[in-house]
Amino acid sequence: MDAPAVATQGLTRRFGDLVAVQDVNLSVAPGQFFGFLGPNGAGKSTTIKMLTGLLAASSGSIQVLGLDLAKNSVEVKRQIGVVPEGMALFGRLTGAEYLNFVGRMYGLDRETAAKRTAELLDFMQLAEQPKTLVTDYSHGMQKKLALAAAVIHGPRILFLDEPFEGVDAIASGTLKAMLQRMISRGATIFLTSHVLEIVERLCSHLAIIHKGRLVAQGSLEELRAGVEAQAAAALAGTSGGSAGTVPGEKLTLEEIFLRIVGGTRRSDQELSWLG
Amino acid sequence: MAGLNFSPGMRGQFAAIAQVRWQLFVNRLRTIRGRLEMVARGFMFLGFAAAGLAGALTLGWLAWLFVSRGHLPWLAILLWFVFLFWQLFPVMATAFGETVDSSSLLRFPLSFPSYFVVRLVYGALEPSTFLGSFWLLGLAIGIGAAQPGLFLWAAVVLLVFAMFNILLARMIFVWIERWLAQRRSREIIGVVFFIFFICFQFIGPLMSRIGRHEHPEISGITTQILPYERVLPPGLAAAAISRAVQGTFTPALAAFALECVYALAVLWLLNVRLRAQYHGEILGEAVARSTLPKEKRAIRLGWNVSGIPGPVAAILEKEFHYLSRSGPMLFTFVMPVVVLLVFRLGPQTSAKQGNFLAHASDFAFPIGAAYALLILTNLVYNCFGADAVGMQLFFVSPISFREILLGKNLAHALVLACEVIAVWIAVCFMFHPPTIDITLATVTGVGFALLLNLTVGNLLSIYTPKKIDYGAFGKQRASTTTVFASLGIQAAVFGLAAVTLLIARAFGSIWIAAVIFLILAGLAAIGYVMVLNRADHIALDRRDAILAELCRA
Repeated sequence: MDAPAVATQGLTRRFGDLVAVQDVNLSVAPGQFFGFLGPNGAGKSTTIKMLTGLLAASSGSIQVLGLDLAKNSVEVKRQIGVVPEGMALFGRLTGAEYLNFVGRMYGLDRETAAKRTAELLDFMQLAEQPKTLVTDYSHGMQKKLALAAAVIHGPRILFLDEPFEGVDAIASGTLKAMLQRMISRGATIFLTSHVLEIVERLCSHLAIIHKGRLVAQGSLEELRAGVEAQAAAALAGTSGGSAGTVPGEKLTLEEIFLRIVGGTRRSDQELSWLG
Repeated sequence: MAGLNFSPGMRGQFAAIAQVRWQLFVNRLRTIRGRLEMVARGFMFLGFAAAGLAGALTLGWLAWLFVSRGHLPWLAILLWFVFLFWQLFPVMATAFGETVDSSSLLRFPLSFPSYFVVRLVYGALEPSTFLGSFWLLGLAIGIGAAQPGLFLWAAVVLLVFAMFNILLARMIFVWIERWLAQRRSREIIGVVFFIFFICFQFIGPLMSRIGRHEHPEISGITTQILPYERVLPPGLAAAAISRAVQGTFTPALAAFALECVYALAVLWLLNVRLRAQYHGEILGEAVARSTLPKEKRAIRLGWNVSGIPGPVAAILEKEFHYLSRSGPMLFTFVMPVVVLLVFRLGPQTSAKQGNFLAHASDFAFPIGAAYALLILTNLVYNCFGADAVGMQLFFVSPISFREILLGKNLAHALVLACEVIAVWIAVCFMFHPPTIDITLATVTGVGFALLLNLTVGNLLSIYTPKKIDYGAFGKQRASTTTVFASLGIQAAVFGLAAVTLLIARAFGSIWIAAVIFLILAGLAAIGYVMVLNRADHIALDRRDAILAELCRA
């Protein structure tokens, strides 16, 4: 049996007194399209930063493709691609220069780096502005460039922190097509996103983090079954109460998410001055 | 600027901006690094306060002397000194200045007058304003001590002169920023400067032909220049005061009025530029993209430097792209040659009162090379500053910090080598070719200093990084802690160099200095390698703090 693509044990990160991520045990199988969800401030970005070496863990261990990240960081980094929160772009290079640079940082030879740069720029529809500096790109263009840079070396695992944030529908379609192509070729994708519709459509497996703790993990069906079982138990425990499910209708990911993290929508009395 | 009246709403905005600056300052003190910065800034403030006080006392005493002894035309020299310092210091000492980016305020409903005032006030918060104002106060007091009845008049004239300087410095800053923001205008400025430089080359041969004999044509030129000096702001301010001392108030008032006209003209030019910014001008080159042809372009291969691993060559290439696109950095790189030019021109003012280099031109090359090194330290001591969020890539890519630092150090060493060669050529043209022993001693000395600076610079780049922007003027300042550490290292380097030269002089051979510098360079190289080998470990330990600083908005 293959080693998990990503596995963590007791992963914890503290910032002074604040425990941002506590005792997280994750397991992502190779070839999975894995969605990592959570409300704002839940610890998603902190976790992904630890998984990619951008942040040191306070305790716990991280295994990537069977390798301990702490002990084999260079070997692990060679096999992963990352689009971090800040996109890791160099603003005063052109898109082509940036991709070329990243390719060579990952050890590609000059010819291969240049060839893949041309192909990626073309695929991401960024080839028409060869002299434009990255700092002058729109946010969506920067996102596409960051994703192109993350895949230029053909990684086996791709970590994406909010890849669809600020990206228009056309670019979003391009990105999704590329990610699905990678999955069909055996790569593993680990992404965080607030756009639950996209996660529901793309991801086969999910994990939900809330207040630094992992509160759910499994396939979408497993999470749905868990929530429905809880709802049924709650229904059985209360007389005449309703758990909010309509018989015969599947719960959406948004509903599952809200049930798990206990989110409520406040709409009545607040901010009356807003007109 | 018409209609500049501070409504309660505007006052509220100013108060909010001042409060947020104060809160940012207080919040910075939460970290050890922030507190260290504060201590370093305290020392810097003391240094500038001492310079301000000493300058004010000296200028005040000179003003008193000139007025009480009737050497009134000499007042202009003092004002020219203040003027040149005020305008040149911010360019020559970017390490001490910090420009607060207030352009982000435009997203708030800020009126143009408010925006103008905020830009002007924050832009003026720099040492040159503090020192210049203090010196002018000293001048006013000196004049008042000599002629108490004229204190008020002198104070008003010098206040307008101070306002003119503040406005001019801001005006130059925003216009240069505008011109350097686009490649084409940057190239034009480069060509203009180059022509300017070439023109200066003729001065040396011309002056050597003139020699030290009396030349009435030179006195003629001086006589021709003087009227122009008198209609420029420092000359006008001096005239306004000296005419009042002589009791001729009409010319004094006329000079003062003309000085006010200059201030208003500069105010208008500043207003034009800031108004363009206020209306949403974009200083990028993205606007040009729609005009570019759509045909596919072949991607240029990355640099291939024999003997250097691909990733290191990639870093080297990236550094050169960054530097070549930074107007402010390119501008500072030509400063060593400009300084030599200034020294070269200095002796022509008087045959007897020549400057240091006129008497000891052998030192021109070492001084130029040392200045080139000093300019480079700002880069070396904060080598990740311009990478900003790009720093994340270094932490997620399979490359060691040893290689990253090697690439960056190599780029900086090459820049220094180019600069030293340029200085050598400039010295050959302006003075005379440096002798072989001086050249060798200088090169080995610079080699030692470079290795030492790279060693300490690599450590400080990891321990106290600061996000900077190569593309904008005044945003290349390293952290104050770094600036002080850098000053300490420079003091040590120059101390060692002085001792080495003294030893060489005692033995009567400059070659000894070259040998000592070689030994010192060897020792520095050992330290450099040791730091390089530890770089990965230190950087990984410090990654949270590094990324927090460099990735902040």
